[in-house]
Amino acid sequence: MTRVTIDPITRIEGHLRIDIEVDQGKVNKAWASSTMFRGIERILLGRDPREAWLFTQRFCGVCTTVHALASVRAVEDALDLPIPINAQYIRNLTLIAHALHDHIVHFYHLSALDWVDVTQVLKADPAKASSIAESLSDWPNNSTKEMAAVKTKVKALVDSGQLGPFAHGYWGHPAMKLAPEVNLIAVAHYLQALEYQRYANQIVGMLGGKTPHIQNVAVGGVQNAINLDSGAALNLDRLYQMKGLLDKVVSFVQNVYVPDVCAVAGFYPEWFGYGKGVTNYLSVPDLPLDEKSTKFDLPGGFIPNGDLSKFHAITGQKDEYWRKAVTEDSEHAWYKSGGALHPWKGETDPQLTDWKEDAKYSWVKAPRFNGQPAQVGPLANVLAGYAAGNPLMVKWTDAALSKISSIAKVQATPAMLHSTLGRHGARAVRTAVLSDLAVKHWQLLTDNIVKGDTAIYNPPTFPKGEISGVGFHEAPRGTLSHWVVIDDGKIKNYQAVVPTTWNASPRDTSGAVGPYEASLIGNPIADAQHPLEVLRTVHSFDPCMACAVHMFDPAGNNVAKVKVL
Amino acid sequence: MKTAVYGIGNILLGDDGIGPAVVNYLFANHTLGDDVTLEDLGTPSLDLPNYLTGFDRVVFIDAVAVDAPPGTIRLFSREEIIAAAPGIRISPHEPSINDALIVLDFAGGAPREVVLIGIVPHTLENGMNLSPAVGKAIPRAAMLARALAAN
Repeated sequence: MTRVTIDPITRIEGHLRIDIEVDQGKVNKAWASSTMFRGIERILLGRDPREAWLFTQRFCGVCTTVHALASVRAVEDALDLPIPINAQYIRNLTLIAHALHDHIVHFYHLSALDWVDVTQVLKADPAKASSIAESLSDWPNNSTKEMAAVKTKVKALVDSGQLGPFAHGYWGHPAMKLAPEVNLIAVAHYLQALEYQRYANQIVGMLGGKTPHIQNVAVGGVQNAINLDSGAALNLDRLYQMKGLLDKVVSFVQNVYVPDVCAVAGFYPEWFGYGKGVTNYLSVPDLPLDEKSTKFDLPGGFIPNGDLSKFHAITGQKDEYWRKAVTEDSEHAWYKSGGALHPWKGETDPQLTDWKEDAKYSWVKAPRFNGQPAQVGPLANVLAGYAAGNPLMVKWTDAALSKISSIAKVQATPAMLHSTLGRHGARAVRTAVLSDLAVKHWQLLTDNIVKGDTAIYNPPTFPKGEISGVGFHEAPRGTLSHWVVIDDGKIKNYQAVVPTTWNASPRDTSGAVGPYEASLIGNPIADAQHPLEVLRTVHSFDPCMACAVHMFDPAGNNVAKVKVL
Repeated sequence: MKTAVYGIGNILLGDDGIGPAVVNYLFANHTLGDDVTLEDLGTPSLDLPNYLTGFDRVVFIDAVAVDAPPGTIRLFSREEIIAAAPGIRISPHEPSINDALIVLDFAGGAPREVVLIGIVPHTLENGMNLSPAVGKAIPRAAMLARALAAN
């Protein structure tokens, strides 16, 4: 029996720590913990609910936009305040652009290097790489010349003795299996992804006024003045500028990202057999299509035990099935008060102990849906869409499965999605769906503006006494919800239940493990000193843990420490 | 020379907000040249390359982990920043200024001149106030940023 701890010593407190017990080359127990206090919501107590979003978007440097939107939705829900349809479309377009950017970055710049061996690029034949890439899609930047240029770049890097951005990879690890040419394609697309994600981020900036930290939302709508005759307002010029950027991103997602994920999956079909974990899936509907947020373009709901026939749709923020189901349990988290509390009654009183696997071991509370752990993220979202028969979700899921089948020469089925690779595949599917919906929502907004509707804002009024609301958003990492209690127009309680809390959840009072913990059980570990397999499974969830101290450490102490006992 | 001055840090975590605080001070009290981009970037991590591409020179203001009294200001060169080697990434938060520069050095488009004005924090506990010693460093850090962005 071997005990392995992976604890990134970041600048100060660290973020996500994973402990595993390995027996005969396989993980048989796992613990996920956050090593940083998360009571950041307490900053909001007593503040004006209209300005909460300005603070919540500072929770996390990666997820600024999503925390702004969830916050205004929560306050609007408490007030029963509808928002003008232009405001819905502008918010939707902002959220989609953010998600496109985020998903591309996650795959190419965080996760791909778990599967791609950069040092193998030197053995690749650029002409062969080009012909493989061209067989996967008709993307124009896959020429032999392009591949040869990237190979030269990598050779220069390797010859310099410094692996630059790739210095932290596990090169030559026995679990790396891509053909040299596929490694070359992946590095070429890593470089192109840097450019294309930037276009998506520019759309967020154009709508949001700036990035990071958008300035354009408000409780009651948005602050984007619409005037077709003014150069300073949202006009047709700006809309078409955005469309130009959008078209480039859509093409990259559909012709590069989706085929690349299918190709990687095709080389690692055994990873459809690892990483299943918790198969209760939670997602919420998003991209509202009416002023009161009762109709949505993306379905969401709860799937118990991976059984799609038991899918229970969530109809909106007002749905009691959703509002009553969410609790957080602190039995194994470093907070006082045991038991499961609804977020409106949530407490955040720290009680730090030593790290104890049978007692308290994480700063993350254990969120539960009707008392059960639930996995959130693109896989939950895609399975909900598939179960609900959403045409775009079905179209892109089937397309991806058929592409994987032809590369891997195995029959890929929806059942295989309950896995480490399934999460990557589902993220690519969701990105493709969002890329189609981006064009749709751009058109909805443009048509509505051209029709002469310029309304963007309904002013809020706060009643005397106590009201409460919930704002949800199906964010890139999964279901995000902000729960607010307002008393006489001031914030009395505020709890953010974020996607990574669902997935990185510790055990609860009943001992049920969280999704990361469950997903690691049974993963092979070829080399305990270099637990690449753990990174593959944890990265497939797209963890976003710290919310986020940022400090430069000249001693370079931000390396993950792997301790094997 | 296309120049940017960026404050980095989380304003909800005590002295980690020193970078943004210096940027706000510069907005309120000093006029940088019209060609200088001034921005509070928060904690951009993996997104940071987006804000560096296309600039010739970037001045960062950030909290630094060095053993010195709170409020101490230390300057770091491009070489010193890059020498802080990147580690294994677990979450998208961890990539830092050094990662962003290393990525762009490989991909192309990295600013040639980079300097980091580092300020030693006292506390990174939840809260929106800077501790007194760190708050006192703001005008000096701002003057330094202005000088470094002007030459």
